Amino acid sequence: MSENFAQRSAVKSQGPGFAGASPYRVKNMTRRSVLRNLAGIAGGILAMPAAQVCKAAVQNGLASSNAPAGYDPTRHKWLMALDVDRCIGCGMCVEACQKENGVPQDCFRTWIERYVIKKPGPESGNARGETVVDSPDGGKEGFPALPVPKAEVLKSFFVPKLCNLCDHSPCTQVCPVGATFDAPDGAVLVDKNYCIGCGFCIQACPYGCRFFNPVTHTADKCTLCYHRITRGLKPACVEICPSQARIFGDLKHPVADDPLQRFIANNKVEKLKESLGTGPQVAYAGLDEVVR
Amino acid sequence: MPPQIVRLVLLTIVIVCLYFTARHFFVPQSFGKYGHYRGAAIEEIRAREPLWAGRKECETCHSEVVEKLAKADHQGISCETCHSPARGHVEDPDVVKLPKMNAAMCARCHEASPSRPKWLHQITVADHYPGSCTECHTPHQPKL
Repeated sequence: MSENFAQRSAVKSQGPGFAGASPYRVKNMTRRSVLRNLAGIAGGILAMPAAQVCKAAVQNGLASSNAPAGYDPTRHKWLMALDVDRCIGCGMCVEACQKENGVPQDCFRTWIERYVIKKPGPESGNARGETVVDSPDGGKEGFPALPVPKAEVLKSFFVPKLCNLCDHSPCTQVCPVGATFDAPDGAVLVDKNYCIGCGFCIQACPYGCRFFNPVTHTADKCTLCYHRITRGLKPACVEICPSQARIFGDLKHPVADDPLQRFIANNKVEKLKESLGTGPQVAYAGLDEVVR
Repeated sequence: MPPQIVRLVLLTIVIVCLYFTARHFFVPQSFGKYGHYRGAAIEEIRAREPLWAGRKECETCHSEVVEKLAKADHQGISCETCHSPARGHVEDPDVVKLPKMNAAMCARCHEASPSRPKWLHQITVADHYPGSCTECHTPHQPKL
């Protein structure tokens, strides 16, 4: 077999075009093969516009957008801060978020937790007793009577929760298809057209800020009301909060006497679960040590 | 070179070429614009229309009410907090009317609770007054 192959090659290389054995001669090159190759290259070049059209058609089929143009995410840095002492637990923010974003029942992009710290037992030797946390329906309808008798309460307060806008977000790192990402402006977003609904990100978030949307069958989370903030509006929860417990701003474009800058400068702000190394950005003021 | 090896090499080249061709067609143009994701997703996410109109929209027509509110204790509260989403009303003010306040709205924030901060004015609704809140208070200027 290999002998045959060698013979064939030998015969071809002795064709009429290659009588003089030049050291630069290319093996097996004939006029026919050169013309055929040139025709192939020309055909390829001619086919490129058609290929571009095909590519555009394929990608339009995969996804399309009708967003108003003119937003550059690299020129903004959004951030929310929360003033725990201002939260009155009315639940208006949760309701506003659900209406604005069409969040399904029993799913929450933001929610309110009620912390109740009990008095320590007699002779327990502790400064404070057990901590009870509840969040009935995310606090959407407000809160019912305390879960413990009033006489046993040492301290009680509300804590609003939402996506912590991590710098090293674990949720985006585990996505197998590149469907969730840290946008350059600080928001952590989900590309619904590419999410396969595997749920890895929901498990990866140490703050429980993500959920599986039963309608779209994708991961879902707080977008900081991306469609609002990119139009110059505040997120729905910030707009509706009656007690200014939520402060929102753009760190790259502070307004005159910027409320967010002022809040962060004048308060001792903390982040949630900073020890996990996720780089949470959402700043809390007035946080009790039991809050996680 | 033995022909079976040649065929194998050719087959490998064909498969690699097919891979790159498919990749060329299926990877979105905006992929990698900002990072390892589809840049166009940002445009798609912001395409939705907002529902809550915002206080500035209210001010364009109801500036006298907003001015009155600015002098009262409820100055920091957005109109829509009590009056529900105004997008429809902004687009078609003659057809879409927004509901007025009701007593349940007052109690939602002002019902006394040990969890609520001390600065907030709180009442136990059951002990406070049996009638309607608006008999004594006006929501835009709540102080008596």
